[in-house]
Amino acid sequence: MLRPTRIIGLIASVFSMLVVAAPASAQSGEKSAILPIRTDGPKNLDPAKGSTTYDNMACSQLYETLLISKYTDPMEMEPLLLTEMPTSEDGGLTWNFKLKPGVMFHDDECFPGGKGREMVAEDVLYSIRRLADPRYEYENWWLIDNTILGFNDYKNKFVGSQNFSYDEPVEGFRIINDHEFEIVLVEPVYRFLYVLSMFQTSVVPREAVEMYGEDFSFNPVGTGPFLLEDFIPKKHLKLVRNPNYHEVLYPAEDEWTSEDRRNRLHRAAGQRVPFLDRLEFRMFVEDQPMWLRFSEGTIGYTEVPAEYYEQAFDPRTKRLKPEMRRSGVRDHSNALLDFIFRGFNMEDPLVGGYSEEKKALRQAINLAINLDEFSTTFYQGNTVQYDGPIPPGLDGHPEGGRAPVSYRGTNLELARQKLAKAGYPNGEGLPPIKFYTSGGGNNAEQVELMKRQLAKVGIIIEPNLVDFSTLIEFINNKKGPFFGFAWSSDYPDGENNLALFYGPNESPGSNHYNYKRPEYDRMYEQIRTMTPGPERTEIYVKMRDMLIEDAPFVGSMARTRYYLINPWLLNCKPTERYYSWYKFLDVDDSKRP
Amino acid sequence: MWAYIVRRILYNIPVYLGILLFVMLALRVNDPVYAYLGKSADEQQIQQKRENMGLDRPFYVQYFSFVGKLVTLDFSARSWEQEREVSDIITNAVPATAMITVPSLFLTAAISITIGLTCSFFRGQRIDQTLMLLAVLGMSISFLVYIIIGQYVGGFVLGSKGMGLLPFEVEGYDTQLSSIKYWLTSPGHAISGWLKFCGLPVLISVIVAMGYDTRFYRAVMVEETGKDYIITARAKGATSKKIMFVHMLKNAMIPIITRVMISLPFLIVGSILLEVYFGIPGMGRALITAINAKDFPVVEYMSALFAAVVIGTVILTDVLYAVVDPRVRLS
Repeated sequence: MLRPTRIIGLIASVFSMLVVAAPASAQSGEKSAILPIRTDGPKNLDPAKGSTTYDNMACSQLYETLLISKYTDPMEMEPLLLTEMPTSEDGGLTWNFKLKPGVMFHDDECFPGGKGREMVAEDVLYSIRRLADPRYEYENWWLIDNTILGFNDYKNKFVGSQNFSYDEPVEGFRIINDHEFEIVLVEPVYRFLYVLSMFQTSVVPREAVEMYGEDFSFNPVGTGPFLLEDFIPKKHLKLVRNPNYHEVLYPAEDEWTSEDRRNRLHRAAGQRVPFLDRLEFRMFVEDQPMWLRFSEGTIGYTEVPAEYYEQAFDPRTKRLKPEMRRSGVRDHSNALLDFIFRGFNMEDPLVGGYSEEKKALRQAINLAINLDEFSTTFYQGNTVQYDGPIPPGLDGHPEGGRAPVSYRGTNLELARQKLAKAGYPNGEGLPPIKFYTSGGGNNAEQVELMKRQLAKVGIIIEPNLVDFSTLIEFINNKKGPFFGFAWSSDYPDGENNLALFYGPNESPGSNHYNYKRPEYDRMYEQIRTMTPGPERTEIYVKMRDMLIEDAPFVGSMARTRYYLINPWLLNCKPTERYYSWYKFLDVDDSKRP
Repeated sequence: MWAYIVRRILYNIPVYLGILLFVMLALRVNDPVYAYLGKSADEQQIQQKRENMGLDRPFYVQYFSFVGKLVTLDFSARSWEQEREVSDIITNAVPATAMITVPSLFLTAAISITIGLTCSFFRGQRIDQTLMLLAVLGMSISFLVYIIIGQYVGGFVLGSKGMGLLPFEVEGYDTQLSSIKYWLTSPGHAISGWLKFCGLPVLISVIVAMGYDTRFYRAVMVEETGKDYIITARAKGATSKKIMFVHMLKNAMIPIITRVMISLPFLIVGSILLEVYFGIPGMGRALITAINAKDFPVVEYMSALFAAVVIGTVILTDVLYAVVDPRVRLS
């Protein structure tokens, strides 16, 4: 019989042989990177049906839009499938688009001979038409509702129909030739150009959609820099370089900031992308495995989870710790276009209304809540607190975060005065206010903090932690008098946030507050058609201040996202503004552990 | 025996239908439509979505439609969340789960029974006390703590990309491991891959389960050691090994079978925590995701599958009693 020491030695030998016997996953000489997605990942790969950030992340590698955010400055746009930015000679009512010639769809069996054909104007309009197809349940109809001339009529014609027609003429679509077309709008809304940069309007070929039908999600065909190799939902998305990708160059040297140059982001200037042969997105549901994979050097970058923040950064100086810097890890941060708030249902008999008393009650709640304490307790102080609904960095955001008239807490004395004015001195006679929020994350603890803060002035809240779909149901049915929610801007323009208070958008629309002020609505209708500039900003400020005074919400906060980048991943400047930037990534395998 | 089995199946049909009814009713307490709507959805879209989900039909129509599909083994319903057929989700998830649960079950049973036998034989002595102390300590620590520390130490510090002392990865799963063909054509690679990705979760699962199972098996064996046949065997000069593994083990098979069989249904449900932390695309993870996403088709079919396996396991357990113990009669 073998002695125990010999048994252990034998097992160790078998282990080591088996580890060595494991095959390499990538061919030598290929450039590859594994990057994380911090959730279950994309639900599907069809842009017409996509809605989440992760759908965006996946689709942006396979498909492309007419316009895109700039990698060097994601707040600005540039043409991607166009030769130049769209032009208009009638103040933004009619837009002319010139397509980039030679942009080819991926090779796929849906095309004759399996060879991808050139993208033409008809493909762009086809892709937009899909948003009106009832088969896709109008998931993204909101993007172009009442925007393109004749498009709403076109959509309404086929509501409930099984025979949606992609050939029916639309008044606002004008094809001039294969590489030039025009779109006529109902009114000159500036946001339309932003919509054309959103992944839901990505260009897809009709042949592929018709051939694959419901399975188009798993058989994506686009013009993007990568092709789908393997997609296992909730596990990984593996992509390979598109050998027929049209010419897109790495941003020029003079487009980078001095900080970017210090991080050597400019070095690939002028080179053709993509650099990577393989790109894998790996889904992580929990923070620890993602963090450990980053720490061992397997994944290229990671957003820094809250519980690991102090492992990476000095909490006092917020600078990357020396040991991290010594290992070559680089950090990067982004202020997100967040609008984190607690909203009031303006139609609620207790907290809603526009009378001086009702406003005073909501202002009192604002004054009693200490957002700085929320930031310190739950976000390591890594948020920006600001007045109004417009996030930092956008026109209309108050300078320094503080508007001229502000009811942002804490000011308990003023809160008590406001409460008295509302008819509830020290909270006497005020019934408990029902507060609804989703039960995930640390929401329960956040609610406890809010309860404690409001109790200081005599306001009692009755928390109801529900799952997200129940929360949406309550809000959509106007049943939640006071609720916790957040909004992330669809595009970098304050109009997107101001739209949340536009009367016609009341629940079940995005105006969850059911805020209705005719004067506000008039201003919103005016700004929709204005181009960015001092005049428009002035109106933004008026609308912002009106909201602050009426206080249909308690807010606001915007998170700062921190990233760490391993030294072997080059050209990486993570942003959540858009997700087509992965084509600029490169690797230096000599720096891998 | 076959008559018994058929009778038991027939008796359990109302139970099964009742389980399905309960699951479907419980799911429909809250409306799932809003979780699947786009931004600024209007009433028309809400209604359209409800129709597409089949939720506009009366409940009894939904129930009998579902039962009818089960009877015909029609798993072609599409997941609301994933745009895939439920059959595709389940057939891909079950093998991944089995890669963890099947080895865990066998290893746990083998080790726990051996330790239980040893403890009962040396009852009251230092070895018994030490092993039971370790078992209680093991039971006192939360499963999540084992996972977090085990992943960090076993996968990150000592694992293949850390110090290299253990062959484990921090997380991940090679989908080829779910293919029998891969195991047959490349057994070396398959075993290596299994060790890399499944070795650590299995190890953690075994360590966690051993505490409970060891104490159970010890209790069962202790009851046997006091019986006359053991005293007789000792008096006749049977060796310790023969007493333990021939006499005691055989007579303790009924509770052992019960314990093992009760675990069988969980072979397909898996461990949600293990699958989530180690990135294993198994049934547990698929089920919890479907519950959170209010993905009714997936939850309903998985519940139906699990209920069928539980009922089948209970029947099989009774049959095995009769096989193992000739004194048991099936009637």
